[in-house]
Amino acid sequence: MSSFVQSREAQAPVRSEEPRYDVELKNVTKRFSPTVLGLDGVSAGFEAGKVTVLLGLSGSGKSTLLRHINGLQRPTEGEISVLGQRIENAGDAELRSIRRRIGFIFQNFHLVGPMSVLENVCTGKLGSLRGPRLSLLMYPRSVRVEAMEQLERVGLADRAFQRADTLSGGQQQRVGIARALIQKPDVLLADEPVASLDPVSSAQVIELIKRISREENLTVICSLHQVELALEFSDRILGLQAGRVVLDRASASIDQREALQIYSKVATPSPEASMKSLAG
Amino acid sequence: MSIITSIPRPDGASERSLPRKPPPTPNSIAVAVTLLLLLCAAVWSTVELRINLATMMDSISNATNFLARMFPLDFPPAGELAALIFETLAIVVLATVLAVLISVPVALFAAWNTTSGKYSRTGARVIIVLARAVPDLILAIIFLRIFGLGALPGILAMGLHSVGMIGKLYADAVEELDNGPQEAIRAAGGGRVQQIVSGILIPLMPQIIATALHRFDINLRISVILGYVGIGGIGLAIATALRSLNYQRGMALALVVLLLCIAVELISGAIRAALLGGDRSRSRNRTVSWADRVSENWVSRGQKKTGTSEGLDAGARPIAPPWNADRVRRFLSMSAVLAIVFLSLIGAEFSWEALGYGLANAPTTLGAFFPPAGGDLLPVLLSEMLVTVQIALAATLLGSILAVPIGIFAARNVVTNRAVQTFFRVLIVFIRGLPELIVAIIFVVITGLGGVAGALALAIGAVGLLSKLVADSLEETDVRVQQAVQAHGASRTQVFFAATVRQSAPAFVAHIMYLLDSNIRAATLLGIVGAGGIGFLLLNASRVMQFDVVTTIVMLVLVVVLTVEAISLWIRKAVH
Repeated sequence: MSSFVQSREAQAPVRSEEPRYDVELKNVTKRFSPTVLGLDGVSAGFEAGKVTVLLGLSGSGKSTLLRHINGLQRPTEGEISVLGQRIENAGDAELRSIRRRIGFIFQNFHLVGPMSVLENVCTGKLGSLRGPRLSLLMYPRSVRVEAMEQLERVGLADRAFQRADTLSGGQQQRVGIARALIQKPDVLLADEPVASLDPVSSAQVIELIKRISREENLTVICSLHQVELALEFSDRILGLQAGRVVLDRASASIDQREALQIYSKVATPSPEASMKSLAG
Repeated sequence: MSIITSIPRPDGASERSLPRKPPPTPNSIAVAVTLLLLLCAAVWSTVELRINLATMMDSISNATNFLARMFPLDFPPAGELAALIFETLAIVVLATVLAVLISVPVALFAAWNTTSGKYSRTGARVIIVLARAVPDLILAIIFLRIFGLGALPGILAMGLHSVGMIGKLYADAVEELDNGPQEAIRAAGGGRVQQIVSGILIPLMPQIIATALHRFDINLRISVILGYVGIGGIGLAIATALRSLNYQRGMALALVVLLLCIAVELISGAIRAALLGGDRSRSRNRTVSWADRVSENWVSRGQKKTGTSEGLDAGARPIAPPWNADRVRRFLSMSAVLAIVFLSLIGAEFSWEALGYGLANAPTTLGAFFPPAGGDLLPVLLSEMLVTVQIALAATLLGSILAVPIGIFAARNVVTNRAVQTFFRVLIVFIRGLPELIVAIIFVVITGLGGVAGALALAIGAVGLLSKLVADSLEETDVRVQQAVQAHGASRTQVFFAATVRQSAPAFVAHIMYLLDSNIRAATLLGIVGAGGIGFLLLNASRVMQFDVVTTIVMLVLVVVLTVEAISLWIRKAVH
């Protein structure tokens, strides 16, 4: 039986060049309290232009991992490089500049409810603007034009001036995607983007992310619970259990049963042991 | 509640005894003892202040005299009246605007999710508590000393005192807000100010405006009392008229204040209801409709909401919002607000010069307030402070006796007769509209100077506050519990006492403690119009420029108000 998880080095085809990583984590540990570990020595590289799906039970560290990549949380130990910049100790200004290049899609959309759809999309551009904006008309014309283009792209241009909280869940998530796209990001993070949606809307949203990531050649890191969707959607699967990486392989080499095992086991004391147990 | 742990055997043999009720916790004993002591103190206060039937009977002749001397009402000439109204509204507008401008940053520092650190949060909370604890009247006396006569002291006094309420409500709203949008802006590289403006202030705007309008109503009432220390507007005119025993003019102006309060409540209630997405459906009954507007549809709440959907702008892709009804309304409202603030600056004859001069000399002027007076004055001050506490306690007791039944009759799930419900709900809303001070003035004239007038005025005011809270908490009870008791064959009265009252009793206690808290604040001021307590000494001290005495009174008031607030808060937490 082949080992369930192999090291990246073992998996990587023999190439003359090292793969180019847009995001790289080295031994990242996040300790929330002396007894609660969010991430436990996570090392992983995310290749430019590839789609990686994070799989794992709730509380396994998927969201924590994504939030570390964006600098929304800081690691207790370890190194994180994003687009060639180290961010674990970056200052506010440095973080802001790196965040401009990282789009983030949230499970609960995180839209400003009473704001219009178009203005919500414009807020994605705040990182590149100076000072606060109290209304849509305070955004530069170019930003509004760009926001409208992104709304057209996600099929919601006709809803531009509607209040965001009057849209359905699927539509709100598409606004969330447009908000991320207006940043013209190099990396797109998505934290369970379809967890709050019905199956039809889920499929539409995933299809949209897939299409856009291909068009823009984005590095996508997305956490999901739908194993079938994950295998179909991604180039690579990263399985997490209790903050540790227990599976890291190309999606094409993983079948559904194998991926489901990530959900069937509880965390074991060491990564080796848990990898063995997953390998059955 | 005890639980039967064994089923009696038919032969009656060896039944187990019922389990013992767990002993009460020390905290619950302390709460019960405190409540009992408060009740005893309230009864004692009522007796001490001689609030009884005999006093009322004695006052009947006064009331008749008063009515005789009140009519015909003597309104000032239209131009003079309009100027008075304009000045009053201008001061209240500017005070409320000032309060909002200060409260927003204070609230952002006070809320855990937007604060910049532990110390700034504590600092902001202390500002809120102090602003609320120091009555606006005392602030007005201090600011009158610093800035001299004019509108400025009134604006600053009401503005700063309002921060206590507005700041707290804003901070609570910020803490309750979903942090998601703020986080999304942060994730996209947005700075702290951008996160706060787009992620917090914009979604909170309806609440920010609604709270400001609510405070505007309150400040309008308060502005009358400030007239007694020399702040301009209708309050000053009432004070001048009543001091010269000109009841015809005084009561005519009081009526104007009453109508102004109702008009302002009507408008602000309608705006608040629209802003907060309240039920816009109106009853056909005009009185109910009026009461609905001022109470954010509280009177006839429960009807279906009619949703409105905004029009879509398809076809060409404009990047500015279309000039639809909503945008026009927003634009007009914003312009109206700016125009009102501008007019208020003119109306209040706001002087930047006076502000600068006052601020420059503030350290010297404030020196007059220190050190606080003490020694031989203290016994007098303490005895008047005791009267203030007695007024608050007696008013809370009388108010509860009056307000609880009215609240019960106004609750939809208790009284099924719609006419009865509506009558009591309209009554509550009407009483809420009466400015306490006007009621106090009337009682002072009827029952004479002293605590009786103050206690009765506050007791009447309690109907507006407590009855509504009682009705609301009865309506919030779990209907399924009542249905379960009913299903076992209980009568309506049994259901009411076994299910409805039992569920809302803790809320009743909490509301009564809240009433005590708010009465103690109000009681410190009523002395100004001669309704008993420390307020009278405060007014005298400020008139004869004994500012060190003012400081001692401020300290006494602060200690008492904060103590009562702490007790009230502790009991409210314990019973919930």
